[in-house]
Amino acid sequence: MIERLMENAVQLFLLLALSPLVTGVIRTLKARLQTRRGPGIFQPYRDLLKLFRKGMVIPETSSWIFAATPWVVFFSTILAGLMIPMVAAVAPFGLLGGALAVIYLLGLGRFFLALSGLDTGSSFGGLGSSREMTISALAEPAMMMAIFTVAIGAGSTGLTEISGAAIGQTWRFLAPAQMFAFAALAVVLIAETGRIPVDNPATHLELTMIHEAMILEYSGPYLALVEWAASIKQLVLMTLLINCFWPFGLQASWFGFGALIGIGWLFAKLLLLCCAIVLLETVNAKMRLFRVPELLAVAFILGSLALVSTFLF
Amino acid sequence: MLMRPFLDIQLGERIVTLMAALVLVLQIAVVAQRWIVTHIRIFAIQSFLLAMIAATIAWFNHAPHIYVAAGLTLVVKVILVPILFERLVVRMEIHEEIEPIINVPLSVVISGGLTLVGYVVAESFYKPDEPGLGHNALAVAISLFLIGFFTMINRRKALTQVLALLSLENGLFLAAISLTYGMPLIVELGVLFDVLVAAMVLGILIYRIRETFESMDVSRLRRLRG
Repeated sequence: MIERLMENAVQLFLLLALSPLVTGVIRTLKARLQTRRGPGIFQPYRDLLKLFRKGMVIPETSSWIFAATPWVVFFSTILAGLMIPMVAAVAPFGLLGGALAVIYLLGLGRFFLALSGLDTGSSFGGLGSSREMTISALAEPAMMMAIFTVAIGAGSTGLTEISGAAIGQTWRFLAPAQMFAFAALAVVLIAETGRIPVDNPATHLELTMIHEAMILEYSGPYLALVEWAASIKQLVLMTLLINCFWPFGLQASWFGFGALIGIGWLFAKLLLLCCAIVLLETVNAKMRLFRVPELLAVAFILGSLALVSTFLF
Repeated sequence: MLMRPFLDIQLGERIVTLMAALVLVLQIAVVAQRWIVTHIRIFAIQSFLLAMIAATIAWFNHAPHIYVAAGLTLVVKVILVPILFERLVVRMEIHEEIEPIINVPLSVVISGGLTLVGYVVAESFYKPDEPGLGHNALAVAISLFLIGFFTMINRRKALTQVLALLSLENGLFLAAISLTYGMPLIVELGVLFDVLVAAMVLGILIYRIRETFESMDVSRLRRLRG
């Protein structure tokens, strides 16, 4: 019992503490790649701290949804984060739900964000909401297909079982089905975290922004919660991708020294994935909004091919 | 043909399957691609992977004559043809995007469907008792062939149609090496020489079409003009 609690505490701490760092590392690496100095990897922490200290402006026209959304988004993302395996193959809340629960908890957060974008009645918020829903409606099937592919390999949609099956099969990711699924999930990761070919995370002043348009009316602690939740969501999706497809160094259980090795490997793999994302963001330009469905269609087809080829190969 | 069993034939099969899957991914990327220069480069990478597949099959089956085919593929399809086409693109000053007849998401979905057809067809060639490389490669080869056909139908501009024809030919090459472990060398030579000549002739033809009609859109060719 105590051990379960410890697992929860460690994973919760990792989720809360590590997620701004991931955002910071991506920003700094990107700045360095573009020969800028960049704000340093700890800047997101300072931003959050500053926002939590500030006052709030709440639009007069908004309803309770506006006030509830940051909490719903934050806690649904945390809950989803506790359901995925991070350090060891055993997810702390694995018994509560598997991959589908994670996808729909993230979906719940997104739904409330879209509602709050509409709630304030500003035209930007509505634009952001409609774009976000369009993109997520297309990204979700691709994600499902990719997750189902790994789920069939493990015989269960439980993420504990999926990661457990991956342990020891280090070179499994070279199988075609795994590779298709990985590519599909990577595109979904880009779309869901609002990275460059789909959305530009670095701007608040662009007509084409998606995520930032929805949260334009938020300020102070609420904005901090939403931003933090966005970082955590990014970390959750990255960890999901890493632990389903690159099972190197993933530990079977949480005990003793193994957990430290697990954390070390997690950091190394996250850094690798961050580098890949940075490279992708730097060499690509943002797509026109009407081109995004094409990208997601490719992801969906790759996911479908992955699913089908698990039966054929 | 004499085939000696090799210890690590499973490793070979995995490598071939992996690279064949990459070739398929690239082919789907071609369908979704809008820039012709990227299209040419993807074709070059695809051909490079094909040469690697051929080399792998040659290594694991001890069939040295496939090395020659791999080397020729490398020279002709990875280096000569892409350079030829890129020079053509520069000379004709093509800047506009590719406009497919069917929109891109639907094209991609259709390509996915064609891949399934490829797998179903390849299934009937599969003999579990016969050890060998490249059973999956055959499925990919048929898919490449079908998607290549579809891309040819789906494009308006002559240059992109020629590129689609070449990727179709890549599918044929893959089918040949995965089914027969290499056709006789003289056939390979003939095919590759054919490809080179076809690419050159078609390149000149495209240039002439462009000069005469001021467009590469083949749907304008129905207007006869001297």
